[in-house]
Amino acid sequence: MKIAVCVKNAVDETELKVDSGGNPQLRGAPTKMSTFDKNAVEEALRLKAAHQGEVVVVTVGTSEAKKTMKEALAMGSDRGILVSADPMAMDNRRTSELLAAALKKGGPYDMILCSEGSSDMYSGLVPPMLGELLGLPYVGYAKKIDVSGKSAKVERALEDSIDVVEAPLPLVVSVVSEINEPRYPTLIQIMQAGKKPMEELIPETLLPGVAPAMPLVGGMKAQAMTRKRVVFEGPPAETAKKLVDALAAEGVLPR
Amino acid sequence: METFYPDHHQEYSEVLTSLGAFMEKELLPISPKIDTGEVKMAKPRRALLKQGMCQIAFPEEYGGLGLPFSVYATAVEMLGTAEASTCLSVEIHNAVAEGLSRFATDAQKRAYLPKILSGDKLASFTLTEPASGSDAGTMATTAQKEAGGYSINGSKMFITNGGEADLYLVFAKTKKGPSCFIVEAPSPGLSFGEDLKKLGMRGSRTSEVIFSDCRIPEENLVGEEGKGADYAKEILHSARIVVAALNVGIARIAYEKSLAYSRQRKAFGKTISEFQLIREKIADMKTEMDAARLLYFYASRIKESGGDYSSEASQAKVFSTEMSLRVCDSAIQIHGGYGYTTDEIHRHWRDARLLTIGEGTSEVLRMLIARRELAKLQ
Repeated sequence: MKIAVCVKNAVDETELKVDSGGNPQLRGAPTKMSTFDKNAVEEALRLKAAHQGEVVVVTVGTSEAKKTMKEALAMGSDRGILVSADPMAMDNRRTSELLAAALKKGGPYDMILCSEGSSDMYSGLVPPMLGELLGLPYVGYAKKIDVSGKSAKVERALEDSIDVVEAPLPLVVSVVSEINEPRYPTLIQIMQAGKKPMEELIPETLLPGVAPAMPLVGGMKAQAMTRKRVVFEGPPAETAKKLVDALAAEGVLPR
Repeated sequence: METFYPDHHQEYSEVLTSLGAFMEKELLPISPKIDTGEVKMAKPRRALLKQGMCQIAFPEEYGGLGLPFSVYATAVEMLGTAEASTCLSVEIHNAVAEGLSRFATDAQKRAYLPKILSGDKLASFTLTEPASGSDAGTMATTAQKEAGGYSINGSKMFITNGGEADLYLVFAKTKKGPSCFIVEAPSPGLSFGEDLKKLGMRGSRTSEVIFSDCRIPEENLVGEEGKGADYAKEILHSARIVVAALNVGIARIAYEKSLAYSRQRKAFGKTISEFQLIREKIADMKTEMDAARLLYFYASRIKESGGDYSSEASQAKVFSTEMSLRVCDSAIQIHGGYGYTTDEIHRHWRDARLLTIGEGTSEVLRMLIARRELAKLQ
């Protein structure tokens, strides 16, 4: 199986600072491999272990994204493709177009794995867009993937149910975090990752004549969350009823 | 790292970041249960060694990464923050590898080092005896030469990893003086006392190691007969840098908890972090920790350059171990009654308390430092 995994060098949301006006300070913020992308890489490696083949990591990012690429290579991926562009300066459509162009150039792939959404912006738009741009079926929110011959049986984790679908290869799949437990690369693997091949592509070559898209998101504000701190006093039978009524009034529980 | 290694900091940072992520997820959350004994450290320790914790500063030909010693020392500080007992066990294990890499024959290195560095074999350093600690020259354990090998008799006390380890680096007297041997477990004549109850570092096993006509082959002699005391000193100089790093790590977790608590706990209508006397503590804790880190880093860099770092290593250990007691004491004070009654706060002080004693007491190390200084005048 030839598998591509799309990863993102995302802003580390745990280190994100917000200024006094509530604006997240994205520029210069520490970055890391988007949390759920590790699950996508892990799943690709598991599929490779079961079916042989190759795992190629693809990302759109600045030079800082090389560390994310190296981490995916250290986990066991075979090679990497970096499309040198700043994903923060473009909308999801342009990111998807660049990824799709890079995937077409190096393809065909039997499966293209993504995570359900990046841990910084979490729009979840890139995987379905990739399916559309590549003309491939897209299966989202996979919690289990079984490949047999030329098709894949995928369990999809939805809010209230689990869908089981079967789709022909090649296809695009986005995974949820419960699909697996990502491995830690050993220190030796980290040291050796730098020796694995990493190809750099430039947007102008992949999509000649296409101008960088404007960001769709006009701005973001941090929202302070405050708790209501409601305390019910009295015998448990009474307070339990009050609690249930209050939760129902908030719409948390059905009336 | 960038300040000290402008050309390689990215590579070293990647190694440390990955190791840190492992420690944060796999060790930090279980650390309280390792302290109480609810969780045994053997499995997470093995997983940590499998990650490559002890491969960092050893040559690639023996399965190491060939990185500078200070990268290992920094990893130790991180481990001290995440899980002090595991750190103590790993530090001793690594010290044995250090001794073998410096003094063992090529055959011994090939036979043992890759397995120790990968964590397939756990190692233990056995020098201290019931009646001799820092005064190792008075050791009573003997290694009697006999046909094809040696017979070891005596006992060693307060041995970290004792009873758990697969391999013991043993110091015993021959006719030529203190000598160094490898004893593999199990071996006939090798037995262990009970796991000693301790004030802190409760997750690591500490026991007596007993030798009764414990016969080992001749090829298990490390280096030359009669040079064991020199080897032990060299191993301990290096281990003192590591212990200094471990104590910065312990201080750091106590400090971080205190910092967070000071911004949460309110008194007289404001958080206690608003009070000058609490701020003074925070400032002193941070300053002393950073000073200790620079001391262990400085000693590491001298070691890397091949210079004599024995005094600097001792300075780092004396300062860092005493510093961590002060910082952990301040942490208890900042937490008030909760600090005194909660394991999660006072265990850091209990853990730190060992290390002004182990691997060279503060008193003995001050003697060494002063001796070096006075010798400069002669």
